[in-house]
Amino acid sequence: MHKPTSGHASRLRSQAIAFAIVRGLSFLTIGILALILIFIVYRGLRYENVVRSTVLSNSEAAPDGLAIVVNEGTPLDRIEFPVLYGMYTDEYLNWSKITADKEDLVPIALDSSTADGAKVSRFLFGSTPQWGGLVETAPDAARAIERVRSTLGAVAVLPAEDLAGQKGVKVIPLRRVVIAANSEVTALVENRGIEDLSDPALRLLMAGKIANWKELGGPDLAVHLLEPPAGTELQRVLSDGGHSVSGGAREKDMAAYLAALGDQSGSVGYLFAGDAKAEELPTLMWSGTESGWNLSLSYLLESPGLSGKVGGISTIIANTFLMLILTGLMAAPIGVAAAVYLVEYARQGIMIRILRLGTETLAGIPSIIFGLFGFLFFVNILHFGFGLLSGCLTLTLMILPTIVRTSEEAMKAVPAGLREGSLALGATKLQTIVRVAIPAAAPGILTGLILGIGRAVGETAALLFTMGSDYKLAKGLFSSARVLSSHIYLLFAEGISFDRAFSTATVLILVVVAFNFSAKRLIGKMGGGREKGAKTR
Amino acid sequence: MKDASAKFDIAGLDLWYGQTQALKKVSMQVGANSITALIGPSGCGKSTFLRVLDRMNDLIDGVRTEGKVLYDGQDIFNGMDVIELRKKIGMVFQKPNPFPMSVFDNVAYGPRVHGTKDRRELEEIVERSLVNAALFDEVKDRLHKSALGLSGGQQQRLCIARVLAVEPDVLLMDEPTSALDPISTAKIENLLEELKRRYTIVIVTHNMQQAGRVSDWTGFFLSGELLEYAPTKDIFFNPRDPRTENYISGRFG
Repeated sequence: MHKPTSGHASRLRSQAIAFAIVRGLSFLTIGILALILIFIVYRGLRYENVVRSTVLSNSEAAPDGLAIVVNEGTPLDRIEFPVLYGMYTDEYLNWSKITADKEDLVPIALDSSTADGAKVSRFLFGSTPQWGGLVETAPDAARAIERVRSTLGAVAVLPAEDLAGQKGVKVIPLRRVVIAANSEVTALVENRGIEDLSDPALRLLMAGKIANWKELGGPDLAVHLLEPPAGTELQRVLSDGGHSVSGGAREKDMAAYLAALGDQSGSVGYLFAGDAKAEELPTLMWSGTESGWNLSLSYLLESPGLSGKVGGISTIIANTFLMLILTGLMAAPIGVAAAVYLVEYARQGIMIRILRLGTETLAGIPSIIFGLFGFLFFVNILHFGFGLLSGCLTLTLMILPTIVRTSEEAMKAVPAGLREGSLALGATKLQTIVRVAIPAAAPGILTGLILGIGRAVGETAALLFTMGSDYKLAKGLFSSARVLSSHIYLLFAEGISFDRAFSTATVLILVVVAFNFSAKRLIGKMGGGREKGAKTR
Repeated sequence: MKDASAKFDIAGLDLWYGQTQALKKVSMQVGANSITALIGPSGCGKSTFLRVLDRMNDLIDGVRTEGKVLYDGQDIFNGMDVIELRKKIGMVFQKPNPFPMSVFDNVAYGPRVHGTKDRRELEEIVERSLVNAALFDEVKDRLHKSALGLSGGQQQRLCIARVLAVEPDVLLMDEPTSALDPISTAKIENLLEELKRRYTIVIVTHNMQQAGRVSDWTGFFLSGELLEYAPTKDIFFNPRDPRTENYISGRFG
């Protein structure tokens, strides 16, 4: 009595365990896939960088009523005071260290004898001007603006009100808040000094929570925190940017504040970089994470520059679609024709079996082999050069096995009744194939095409040797073109931009998803059959 | 039945699938404008025989035929274009096999492959064929929708209309109602009565009552041999061979 029952129970138990394992594994797989997708898309949409700088992230559009203005074509969206200072003191000769551009730097200043000119001089240098030899002097703001508009590498500091409504130039915000400290604070003691202040450490320090510099790796010295004097521009900028100070000593005005920073041992406080420089106060390095939107509409719509370091990826997206269309146009007819031959005409013998085996083997060959072949055959022997045509031909070869195999299966799956029905009506074999068998197999054939083209859109290795890497819009079949996948590779491999590589990856994922989705809809429309309209007109 | 007006004159027909002989010395004459029913147990060769008549067996590898099949006095294996033959001899299959296209395109398929391009002519043919197949009223509002949305019975009548559209001379039907419900079956049987006036019909059926109801002549196949071939009334009420009687009365098969 008991034995069969316990056997039954153990069977049930082992079944339950097996089921749990299968379910666990499937959830794990789906979970990992979802995680990858979410990670890439998130990383593509948002950037988060560690920034190490003397300057805090508070930015001002019009510091002291002045505006920093550059040519509209300059790929710069903000500037830090030390950089600006460097521009006017011959530290930079061209833009290469700033934007990686090759343009010459043309710093423009207003005549120091005018009131505005004097203001600019004071803003940059305090009481002792140190103009560099590169600096051009403009008699008035209008002429300075004209010069900036006509010169790609020009930069000027001008009264903000003169720039209202000006076209062809752009005003970039300035970052100039630094953490200034008394010179004793930054002094090295036994070769150790204050390290970078991380964001949390800075917050603690500025909230008066740190009593001794020792806690931050500095000398054994009591922290004397200074709050910026009320009503000053410094205080306004700080409260705008979310860097408040509390629990510190408050000086009555800026002069006393600067004096305290200079004289009081262990003192620390926020300061404008210009003032710190003028007073020769040491500044502390700040390191924090900066995050923001990575993938923007402009990234999709702008054309790239500087190997993708600046601008967007519009031409690369266009090239990708050109490649897909061209590859599809070449691969689809050849692949379907081969499948039709194999299924409908070829005598099923040893040759066909060898051919099938060959096709299947080709489908599994790494794409880089196809790339090498394409390079030798299309680029060199046929003299097509690096370009769209060579790349697409290589891709066609690469995806043909997939298309042939799936189309073949689809053709085989067409019910014999349909072929017989057609033949019994007196249709020829060719008519039957073209009018009945291929349309009936179309959903399967399309699936194969999508699989193949899906493989092509993500292909990098086969394209690097054949399609070239010009990021401009392809002008013809023989013009070198960069597509999304190779753009990602190049951005990453050449260390151009990690963030941009992820943004492009996100776009690529979206392209693949959109492609698959629309193809599924198309297949549903064709193959679903029931009550779906078939076109006759 | 021995007369010159016979549609088909089959003499000594042997057929092999590879090594297996499926038809043995079959001889019969099929009269014009009549319905001939072929009955017999599964695997007896009746469908194979039917497929000989429009040479559908050509499609199967390893089929070998011997003997003579004359259609209107012409040998279908010698000097006859198979396309022309199949145009003249339409076939309706056991399982409705509408093409995955619209009702209109299904019916217009035959005329189109035979070169009719004129839209108005096609429309006329389609309407006439659908009317003749007793389907027009049911589908006239959905001519341009997929034929796969029709019911099984409608699909089968569509297949008949599709055959009628090429204006054949003979209709071969291979168990055309076996996949259908009784109501659809009745509709198709009524249709056969109508069609008989203009076409010669050969129908394979497993349904004794159907053979009895619709046919003029009945042939009984057993193991590849045509055991008995006579007017339907005789076969059903006065069979000569005891095996025929056994089969008809349901004792085997």
